[in-house]
Amino acid sequence: MSRPRREYPGLPAVVLRVSEAIKVDIWSDVQCPWCYIGKRKFEDGAAQFGGDVEVEYHSFELSPDTPVDFDGNTVDYLSQRKGMPVAQVEEMLERVTGIAKSVGLDYDFEHVHQTNTVIAHELLHFAKSKGRQLDMKERLLKAYFVEGHHVGRIADLADLAAEIGLDRAEAVAALEAHSYLADVKADVAQAQAYGIQGVPFFVIDGKYGVSGAQEAAAFANVLEQARTGRDAAQSDSAEMDSADTDAESEQVAP
Amino acid sequence: MTAAPNPAPLLIVGDPAAAACEGDFCAVPGQEQALVNRRLDADLV
Repeated sequence: MSRPRREYPGLPAVVLRVSEAIKVDIWSDVQCPWCYIGKRKFEDGAAQFGGDVEVEYHSFELSPDTPVDFDGNTVDYLSQRKGMPVAQVEEMLERVTGIAKSVGLDYDFEHVHQTNTVIAHELLHFAKSKGRQLDMKERLLKAYFVEGHHVGRIADLADLAAEIGLDRAEAVAALEAHSYLADVKADVAQAQAYGIQGVPFFVIDGKYGVSGAQEAAAFANVLEQARTGRDAAQSDSAEMDSADTDAESEQVAP
Repeated sequence: MTAAPNPAPLLIVGDPAAAACEGDFCAVPGQEQALVNRRLDADLV
């Protein structure tokens, strides 16, 4: 992007620094417990950072082979389909629930509806087209982990869309037509191109990769690192511009 | 699925042991040790 230049007679060109938000692309799945916890920690870290941050969520399907109407909760799913001992699953979920509680989230795995999330991802793209992706993401995560809503069926998803003010009929039409499926697949392909294997995964300013539900301070640090990197690049560029202007002045000097 | 163009490599930062989900499995930091401790407490190991 070109930087605005203001020129004054007899003085070198001045490069005006434009404050731009740091872009954060987040790959995440709706039924990923660390994604919701990581979302809270990232938000805390962004608040500590204090600068402008622009967030965009991207689709990642952890378990694309899960049926929409799996009859059971997370314990049933992991024990029946993945062969994990029930006691081990329960202990794992108990620990995750405790960590979620520490960031203000009341996970209720007993009432979770394990499902296929591809249509939920399509809804997130639909919401993005309306400028409401962040609200939709929060609503979906809360619906799934806290409130025990089903997030795999179009009717349930459309209800959630309507709750945040989106047009329910329009959402149903978009989901039934799978108008945003290609966008979901493009996100998944982009994740593969980056080499992303797990979520949540954060790409900061297109340069830094952060995997997992890091502590808030870690997010704040990398955001600061991105800002510092930008400032250094702008400073170098400004010096080059100034040198160019000096050279031009010497050439036209009598 | 159409392959995405290769982006510039990322500089990976942060704690490499941070909790994440891969496939169906969501790793819980410290979980394996906690399970071992519980089995030890119950004289199962």
